[in-house]
Amino acid sequence: MNGQKEENLKELFEKFFTTEQAQKAVEDVQKAEHILNEHPAPEPDKELIADIKSAIAASLLAKQTSIFRTIVYKAAAVAAAVIIVAAIGVNLINKGDRSEKVVYASIIPRAIWESVDIAADDVDLAILTAEIEQIEDEVLALQLGKSGGDSDTAVTELEMELIETDSYFWKG
Amino acid sequence: MTENDYLAKIIIGCKNGDAECFSKVVDIYARRCYGYFYRLIGNKDVSDELLSTLFVKLVEKIGSYKGGSFESWLFKIASNIFHDYLRTKQRQKKLLDERKKQLKLEITVPKQADSERFDKLQVQLGKLDADTRELIMLRFYSQLSFKEIAKTRSEPIGTTLSKLHRGLKKLRELME
Repeated sequence: MNGQKEENLKELFEKFFTTEQAQKAVEDVQKAEHILNEHPAPEPDKELIADIKSAIAASLLAKQTSIFRTIVYKAAAVAAAVIIVAAIGVNLINKGDRSEKVVYASIIPRAIWESVDIAADDVDLAILTAEIEQIEDEVLALQLGKSGGDSDTAVTELEMELIETDSYFWKG
Repeated sequence: MTENDYLAKIIIGCKNGDAECFSKVVDIYARRCYGYFYRLIGNKDVSDELLSTLFVKLVEKIGSYKGGSFESWLFKIASNIFHDYLRTKQRQKKLLDERKKQLKLEITVPKQADSERFDKLQVQLGKLDADTRELIMLRFYSQLSFKEIAKTRSEPIGTTLSKLHRGLKKLRELME
């Protein structure tokens, strides 16, 4: 890293002067540098060097503290940003879920709502309707005296049928 | 391990913020940098101050050192610090001159007394122009080649050679 040791002064001066002039220039430089060597400048005090080293240590510490503080601030900023983004994300997801969570509850099946002939489309209702119709016929027959037999037995059978229908109806 | 390898290792340590490596840099360069400042200014207290400033600046700026001649880089900072000092001094002198005019004081500067405090070389260096004096000191204390000095000063090598040759010749004549 010390370029002066590697340089050839004569060669360098010869690029700009004649050989004789270059030789003279090299001698001038060397003699002057010899004078400078003979008159050394005062050296820095030991106290000064110690103070400088302390100042460097303090400066490094301040620099490291500053770097650490910057890292902490950056980390805090990133964490805050992540929390905000997460909060917004969760909020948005919840909003989405809320719209999906809406349930239109109904005890009546959709097919029944849309049916034009409820009695035919609902099996249970169809059976019930058929039984009612049968009972109606039997009641009509009794009224007209068409049963042709024992009217008490017919009434009992009718009552039993009514009880049976009633129990099926409530069972669903 | 060569001198260059040793220095390279120290500089890497400095870049990593190792106080011990900075101490080694101080040990290696403090004497030369102090001589550079002292020969340019001729005042011990100011040289002390500028040397401290240089090494504190070194801690701040070590990250910007991208290889090449470390001496060249360090003495460029030293040169900038010296020029900053000169500018501050000129501003202070200007203010002081204005103040003197306002007070209409006649102040005689005891030049001889000041000179007596310096060694012979320091007195003769004072007779050279500031630019030549700085060039000689840069050459002597930084131990840079003419090529590196020319690069540091952003001037053609022929100009550097010619200025330095004239300056050293004159200094030799003054000292003889």
